[in-house]
Parts: sequence; C-alpha cells; structure tokens
Amino acid sequence: MTIGTFILKNALRNKRRATLSILSVAVSLFLLTTLLVALRELTVPPEGEGAALRVIVRSKVSIANSLPARQRPIIERIPGVEAVSPFSWFGGQFKDEEATTFGQFAVDPRTFKKIFVEGKISPEAYQLFETDRQACIVGRITADKYKFKPGDRISLASTIYPVTLEFKIAGIYSGSVDDRNLFFNDKYLNESIGDPGEVGTWWIKVRSADDMPHVISAINHAFENTADEVRAESERAFQLSFISMMGNIKLFIGSICTVVVFTLILVAASTMSMAIRERFRELAVLKALGFRRRELFTFILAESFGLAMFGALLGVGGAYCLYTFGNIAHMTNGIFITSEVTPKILGAGFLVASSLGIISAIAPAIAVARMSVVNGLKTLD
Amino acid sequence: MAGENIVSIRNLSKIYLQGEINVTALHNISLDIQSGEFLTLMGPSGSGKSTLLHIIAGIDRPTGGECRVQSVDVTRLNESELADWRNQNVGFVFQTFNLIPVLTAYENVELPLLLTRLGRNQRRHQVNTALELVGLSERAHHLPRQLSGGQEQRVAIARALVTFPSLLVADEPTGNLDSQSAHDVLGLLQTLSRSGKTVIMVTHDPKAAAFGSRTIHLEKGELSN
Repeated sequence: MTIGTFILKNALRNKRRATLSILSVAVSLFLLTTLLVALRELTVPPEGEGAALRVIVRSKVSIANSLPARQRPIIERIPGVEAVSPFSWFGGQFKDEEATTFGQFAVDPRTFKKIFVEGKISPEAYQLFETDRQACIVGRITADKYKFKPGDRISLASTIYPVTLEFKIAGIYSGSVDDRNLFFNDKYLNESIGDPGEVGTWWIKVRSADDMPHVISAINHAFENTADEVRAESERAFQLSFISMMGNIKLFIGSICTVVVFTLILVAASTMSMAIRERFRELAVLKALGFRRRELFTFILAESFGLAMFGALLGVGGAYCLYTFGNIAHMTNGIFITSEVTPKILGAGFLVASSLGIISAIAPAIAVARMSVVNGLKTLD
Repeated sequence: MAGENIVSIRNLSKIYLQGEINVTALHNISLDIQSGEFLTLMGPSGSGKSTLLHIIAGIDRPTGGECRVQSVDVTRLNESELADWRNQNVGFVFQTFNLIPVLTAYENVELPLLLTRLGRNQRRHQVNTALELVGLSERAHHLPRQLSGGQEQRVAIARALVTFPSLLVADEPTGNLDSQSAHDVLGLLQTLSRSGKTVIMVTHDPKAAAFGSRTIHLEKGELSN
C-alpha cells in the first residue's frame, strides 16, 4: 500500500457520497463554464477575417436614426476607402414567427462582396444575387434550419417598413462567424418603399489596417455640423457598443457565476467536514501511530482536492466537449454561434475547482490539527 | 535490557479543567517499569489509570512531573517530535481495536510503516512477520468487518508490533471480547512480554490482570499500593 492508495481508499469509502459530491461539483462547474462561455459570446462578439478592415457608420444620434443615401459618394471619395455598401436592417417576420431568428439586411450586391470577404458562395449564385433585384443570399445555419434551398421563394413582412417583400434565394453562403443572416438588394427595398433616400448604416471596407484611424476620423469629420452627423467606428467597437445597449450583462452573469461558486464552496466544505468528522476517531488513531499534523492535512487536502478535480474533469471537460464538438448554433437555433471554451475559461474552471478543493479542506484540517489524540479516541463512531 | 528501567516516572500529576472546576486525574505519581515487564494498571473508573497510560505513551501531557521512557523525557518533546517518537517506540492496542475499516488486515498492519523509509519488500517482510506472530497470516487480505472481534484485536496487536517498538500499551484490550478471545489476546501479550517486550495494560478485570507480571492499583489519581 502507498499513501496514494490510502488516500484513494478513504476518498471512496462512501461511494454514494463521493459520487454525489463529484456530480455536484461537475454540474456546478459545467454551469459555470456555460455561463462564462455565454458571457464571452455576448461581450466578446465573434470577428470574421474581414472585420479588421471594416468600418461601420451610423447616426450619431441613435442607431435607430437613418442616414441619407447622399452620404455615400462623400464617403467613397475619402482616401483609404475601398468599398461602401448600405446596410439597412429590414426587421422582417417570417411566416407567423413572433421573433425571427435571422437578421435581414439590405445591401448593395456590387460592393458587398468586397466588404463581406469571409462569406463563401458560388460565383454563379452571387452573380444571380447581383443581377436579379429580388434575389437574396442566406446563411447556412438559417438555410439548414428552415430547409431553404436555391430557387425557393420566401416572404418577409417588415416590422420597420410598411411592406412585405418576396425574395428568391439565389444561394447559400457559409464561412462567416455568423452564418444566419439574409442579405438582399437595397434597390429592391427602396423601390418598394418609394425611394426615401435613406439607409440604416454604412458598411465600409478600408484598404489596410493602417488606413482605419484616418478613415474613421475623416468620415466623422466629413459630416460634422450637418443635420446628419455620423459616428464611424471599427466593426468591433460597433458590436461592443451594440452589446452595451443590452445593459450590464457582464455584471448580471458575473453575479450568477459568483453565486454558483459560493454555493459550490458551501456544499463542498460541508461535505468534506462531514466526511472528516465521522473519521475523527480514525484520524486520532493515525496521530497515535505517529502521523503528524502536516501528514493528516495532506490526506484531507488530497482527498478534497481529488474530488474537486475529478468533478472539474467531468464538468469543465464535459462543457469543453459539448461546446467544441457539439453543434451549438443548431441546438440554440443560432442564438450562440461560436460558443468557444477558451483556454482562459478552462483555466478559470480548474482554478475554481482547485480553490474549492483547498478551501473545503481548511476547516476539517484545522479541526483535526486541534484535536488531541485522547479526545479523538473518545469520539463515537 | 531485562531488568533495566524502561519507564521512569517522577512526581507526575495531571489536572483537568472541567468547566470551571479543576479535576485531579493524577497526583504525584512516581513509578518505575522495567524492560520486559508486563505491568497491569487496575483501578475503578476515573482513578486515572488510562490517563497514566496515555502520558507514558505520549498521547497526553502531564500538568507536572517527569516521564522518561528509555531516558527520553516525553513531556518535553514537541508535537512533531512526539509523533516520531510514538511511531518508533510505542505500539498501541485499543479496547475497540480501531482498525481502519477500508483497509485489509495487511494494510492496517502496514500503516505505521508508511511513515518509515522502508522499501516495499522490507515492509512486506515486517507485516508478514507480525501477522504470523499473531496467527493471522491467512486472513491478511480480509477487511476488518470480515474478521471476528478476537481476530480484529490480534490484527491491532500486529499493527502495534510491526515497527518493533520497545513499549506496547494496551487500554482494556479485552473489554470488547468474549472470554475465549480475551484469553487468546492476553496469552499473546504475555508471550510478547516473555520474549522481552515491555507491556503496560489497563484493565478492570482481575482475571486479565493475572496475566501480568506486576499489577499496580490506582485510586483517585494516586498509587494505592
């Protein structure tokens, strides 16, 4: 027998309790990992390869305010700008769905492919998208969900404009970080609503990353002191400001995480205390046989740490497998796209488990250290 | 070694604080125990016999006086030194056996050796020798719950012997045994004493005390003869 075998036998002496302890740690850490993944997904939006070269321009007043279409040639003339496309939220309802799970945007197909470089689609399909005003392209996730295929016709009733538009699916794109959206020709939208000369936002591609700061500055400056002042920013900054509109989601999820961890520590500490308390007599015998405080503390710590880490392997490891190998975008109807368990999240999960193992061992270890052999031997089994 | 004092106690006292009341468990005890002796401590409940045994074995500390075991004043050792000293010099046999229920007889006996630097083969040799001595070689891989009370106590004796301690202390080792098992265990302790091991045993039972080479009576914390 080795010390390791001794610790293992002690840890597994009450198999039901050990199993339940491990499962409670595993489930809690799975939940914690899930919350951290969700938090990351919501606060660190996924970036496509083209995002680094994209600038989003919106009304300085509010994203709900539209911009005049006449701004486009002014933006196009700014040095460093490679392509400009309108990007207008259509807000369409599909069939009788209350909340449609894919976004629809009116864009300029001629310039859009230069801006949306990560979206992969067959040249024939894109050509049809460019030439047929009613054509649209749909992301793979949405196409799979609704079983759309090229050639299908779908109707969307806008909740923003007083129109219902019928679209012909020209092709299915994939390869972007969010293959859910539907893009259609902005001219089709303009014709349908009487050409008001407005767009929602501008989507811009700059030539190089070096051009980003001065393009952003030039656009902001170009419309300063006009009736339609704009706010130009990188795509990432735009997404983050968009997320901030949801409120302090970081604080909200952070609070839930804290509660999960705190509850987990209480449960684990209580379990370890019970497990050790019922072995006081045995621990007193070990003391009598010559085991020192530090050795008994090592036994308790190893047992507690082992149970916590085994729970972490199941919980955090399970979450890693699910979010890495599972089709989360499909399972969540496309609400979560990347669901990435980053090394930082893995580290956080195992750090919590380690802390749990250590903290829950402290109280029983102190009790054992204070226990005299004589008093320990008097403890009833 | 036979005939030399292995334990030498001078003016030993122990006072417990129970609530706000001082309770004298031992008062001014002086005693010598010779190597190879089988000393039995008798007395009514609360007479201090177990306390005396605990102090000699280094698991309790006196309030005053001196307790030398093999010339080492155990009252002056710190917690860690005392633990090492116990491991090397004292074997314990308890009334309720106190075997670890999840370990086999072999593993229970091996337990004190985990603190030594012995290799696995040497440990195996010592454990097998100890189990042979108590006649339980064939039960080595049984768990305590698969053994009778008498067998459990013999395993406990094997555990006490496995480090070759100079002193064996037994606190009412037959208190939980039937008469036959008690007789076997006492016979075993007597044999060990005759082979040179010093045994100190606390008992209520005059029949058990008769196995010893000397009996000391305690009453109200003092030696009565």
